[in-house]
Amino acid sequence: MDSKRPTVVLGFLGVKLDDSRRDAKRWDHWRPSVDLCRHDDLVVQRFELLADSKHNSLARQVAADIATVSPETTVELRALDLVDPWDFEEVFGALLDFARAYPFAPEREDYLVHMTTGTHVAQICLFLLVEAGYIPARLVQVGPPARMNSSALGTYSVIDLDLSRYDKLAARFRRERDEHAHSLKSGIATRNTAFNALIERIERVALDSDAPVLLMGPTGAGKSQLARRVYELRHERRALAGPFVEVNCATLRGETAMSALFGHKKGAFTGAASDRPGLLRSADGGVLFLDEIGELGLDEQAMLLRALEEGRFLPVGADSEATSRFQLIAGTNRDLRAAVREGRFRDDLLARIDLWTFRLPGLAQRVEDIEPNLDYELQQWERRRGQRVSFSREARERFLAFATSPQARWPGNFRDFNAALTRLATLAHGGRIDTALVDEEIERLREAWGEAQRDSSVDALEELLGPAGVAALDRFDRVQLADVVSVCRAARSLSEAGRELFAASRARKSSSNDADRLRKYLARFGLEFERVRSGSTPR
Amino acid sequence: MHSLDGSRGEGGGQILRSALSLALVTGQPFRIHSIRAGRPKPGLKRQHLAAVLAAQRVGSARVSGAVLGSSELVFEPGAIQTGLHRFAVGSAGSASLVLQTILPALWSANAPSTVEIEGGTHNPLAPPADFVRDVFLPVLARMGPRVELEIVRYGFFPAGGGLLRATITPAPLRPIELTERGERTLHRARCLVANLPPVVAARELAIVRREFGWGPGQLEEARVPGPGPGNVLSIELGFEHVRELVSAFGERDRASEFVAKEACAAARTYLEHEAPVGEHLADQLVLPFALAGSGRFRALPLSLHATTNIELVREWLGGRIDVASDERNATVSFG
Repeated sequence: MDSKRPTVVLGFLGVKLDDSRRDAKRWDHWRPSVDLCRHDDLVVQRFELLADSKHNSLARQVAADIATVSPETTVELRALDLVDPWDFEEVFGALLDFARAYPFAPEREDYLVHMTTGTHVAQICLFLLVEAGYIPARLVQVGPPARMNSSALGTYSVIDLDLSRYDKLAARFRRERDEHAHSLKSGIATRNTAFNALIERIERVALDSDAPVLLMGPTGAGKSQLARRVYELRHERRALAGPFVEVNCATLRGETAMSALFGHKKGAFTGAASDRPGLLRSADGGVLFLDEIGELGLDEQAMLLRALEEGRFLPVGADSEATSRFQLIAGTNRDLRAAVREGRFRDDLLARIDLWTFRLPGLAQRVEDIEPNLDYELQQWERRRGQRVSFSREARERFLAFATSPQARWPGNFRDFNAALTRLATLAHGGRIDTALVDEEIERLREAWGEAQRDSSVDALEELLGPAGVAALDRFDRVQLADVVSVCRAARSLSEAGRELFAASRARKSSSNDADRLRKYLARFGLEFERVRSGSTPR
Repeated sequence: MHSLDGSRGEGGGQILRSALSLALVTGQPFRIHSIRAGRPKPGLKRQHLAAVLAAQRVGSARVSGAVLGSSELVFEPGAIQTGLHRFAVGSAGSASLVLQTILPALWSANAPSTVEIEGGTHNPLAPPADFVRDVFLPVLARMGPRVELEIVRYGFFPAGGGLLRATITPAPLRPIELTERGERTLHRARCLVANLPPVVAARELAIVRREFGWGPGQLEEARVPGPGPGNVLSIELGFEHVRELVSAFGERDRASEFVAKEACAAARTYLEHEAPVGEHLADQLVLPFALAGSGRFRALPLSLHATTNIELVREWLGGRIDVASDERNATVSFG
C-alpha cells in the first residue's frame, strides 16, 4: 500500500448496512463505512460519503461515528439524489457527473472506491467508472468479522484493476501470450529475433482487434498459414463464430471475380443457375483471407472497401444489399504503394487495410529458423504418413550447411523448403536420408534456382564481377551492391539512379551530389555506371 | 545516534514507545529499523503512529519514516514544549499508551503541562486509564513528580470517544525502594458499564462476592455515559506501600461470568504472591527508576515487555540495572 499519499475513500452510504440501529447498540454491529475507518494499517484521510438527501440523518450519524473512531478522517457528505437507485442509466449518469466534476489529484491523493455499500447497480456503475478510468482509484471491499454481530473489526481488501500488478496473473498472461505466439508459429520454436518480435506483435494486435490486417512478404513466406493460425486462435477464444475463408485474388479474374466475392442472384447472368452467397457472405462472423490482394480488379476493390466500411455490398444482379461482418486479413507480395502510384490499387482501400501491416521475412532472412523448420517438416511428414523419417548426422549437417548458406536463396521460401524435404523424405530408403540423397537435392535446388535467378540482381553481380569476384565480397557488401545494381539498371541515367538511392539524404539536404556519390561507390568495386546498366562482363 | 532493532525482544510497539520516551527525556536522537518485523502486517501501525506524532509535538522533533507500514523511523528531538497539548487517537489506539509515552518528558520539564487526549481510554489491549491513575501515578508521586489524571469521559472499545486530562507538575526524581507491600488497606471491585442493562454489573459483582466473600461496601457499580456500549470490571487491592488494579473487559456475547472470573483470577494471582509490583507496573517503573539513578523494586516474574524495556533502558542510559529472579520474584536494582 502506498501510504505516502493520503488515502481518500469514495463510497455510498449503506442505507441498510450502515444503519443497524440508531442507539448505542449500533456499536455491536458491523457497519462497513465506519469499519473501514477503524483499521490500524489504513488511515482514511477523507471520506467522500455519497448519500441521498433523504438519508441525511443517517449520514450525519455515520459521519459522527467515524469522527470518534478515527479523528484523522474528515467526512464530506456529498448529496447524490436518485429517483431510483436501481436504475442503471440514472445511477451511471449521476456518478459520471460526480466523477467528472470531482477534482481528482491522483499524484497527491490515493483514492479507494468503497464497493460494499450502495445498491448492486451502484456497485456495478462504480466498477465501470473505475475500470474506464473516469475515477482514478483502486477498489476496496470490506467484510464482516468472523462473528457477524460483534464489535470486532472486519476485514478489508484493496483491489487494483491494473492486472499487471498481480504477479501470478501477470505470469499467467505472459504464459498465455507465449502459448499464443507458439501457436502462431505452428509450434515451431523459431529463433530469428525479428520474426519472433513480429509474431509477438501480431499476438498483441490481431487477436484482440477486428481491424483489417495486412501481411506483406514474398511468396511462400507463410502468410496463408499465419492468417489461418490467427483465425484459429481467435476462434478458440470464442471471439469468432464464423469460418475461415481463403482465396488467392490472382485466381479471381474477369467477370466471375465479382460474383465469387460478392455472390449473385439466380439468373443474374448466363450460367447463374442458382443463388451464390459469395466469399464475403460465407466469411460472415469469421475471417476472410484475401491473398495477393494487389491482383484484385478496381471494381472489386471499390465493393470490398464499402463492405469493409459499412458491412454491406450488392451481390451481382441483386436488388438489395447483403450484409457480412468479417475480419479481413490481406496478403501481398507486392508493394501496394507502387500499385497505388500506378493507378492499379485504390489508395482509400490501401489506407483502410494498412492499419496493421506486418512484413514477413523470407526464409533466407531467417537462417536461424531453418533447423527448427526442418524438424517441424519431418514431424509433419511422420504425422501425415505415419512413417518416421530421419537424416543421418552427416547428411543433416550437410543439408543445413547448404540451406543456411548465402547460396541458398530460397526464392520460393517455405514452399521450396517444404518441397525439398518432401522429396528427400519420399526418396529416403527405410526412412533414412543419407548424404547421397542430400547432395542430389542440393544439386537439384541449385539448378532450379539458377534458372529462376537469371534476372535477379545477385546473378547480375556474377555477370559483372565473375563468380570469383562475387565470392570475394563480404555478404554485407554483396547485398548492398546487388540492390545498387538493380536500381542502376532501372534508371535512365547516373543522376536518376543517384537521386533514387540517396533520396533520404536528399530530403534532408545533407547530400549535394548524388551522382558523384554513386560513381565513387561503384568505383570501389571497379564498376562504372554504363557497364552496370548494360550488364557487360568484365574486360 | 542510537540505533535500535525493532524486532528485538517482545518485538511489538513497546520498544518504539520506550525509545520515544527516552529520546524526549535525554534529548538524544535514535533510528529504529525492522519495526514489528516478522508480524503478520509488519511496520508502523496506526496506534504507533499516534504515539510518534504526539512525541514529535511534545519534543519539537524532526521525524522521518512516520508513515503507516514504515519499517524504519528516525526521531531527532528538539526542545520540550510544556503547556497545553491536545491529541486525538481514535478508538484503535489507546489514550493511556500515548500518555505514558510523553509523560517522562513532561514530568522532567521546567514548567507544568496539561495534556488532553481523546480516544480509547479502556481498550482490552492496554492497561486502562484507571490503572495509570490509581497504581502508577501514586508510585511516581513518591518519587517526586505529581500527575493528576482525570478521566473526563470514558472511551470504550470500539466506539472510543473518551477524554483523559493529565496535569503534570514536574519535579526531580528521587530514588525509592519498593520491595514490600505492607499491610492490606483496601480491597474493592468496581464495575463500569455504559449503555448496557444493569443486570450485567449485578451479575459480575455477584461473582466477585462469591469468590472473595466481600460485602456490599466493597462492590461498586458505576454507570458512565459514552457513545457506545462498554463494560470493565476492575478489582483494586490497596496496601501500605502499593496498589494493584486488575481488569477484565466485557464484550458482546461474552458471558458476564467469564468476565468476572477473569478479573478474579488475576486478583488471586496477585494475592498469592508477595512481591508488591505487578506485571504492568513493572513495565512502567523501569524508566523512572533508571532516571532516578538508583533504587530497587521487587516484582512478580517479569514479562517479556519488561525485560525488553530493561535492556533498552540499560543500553540507552548506560547505568547498571540488575535483575535477580527466582520463580516467584524478580528484584530489579538500579545504579
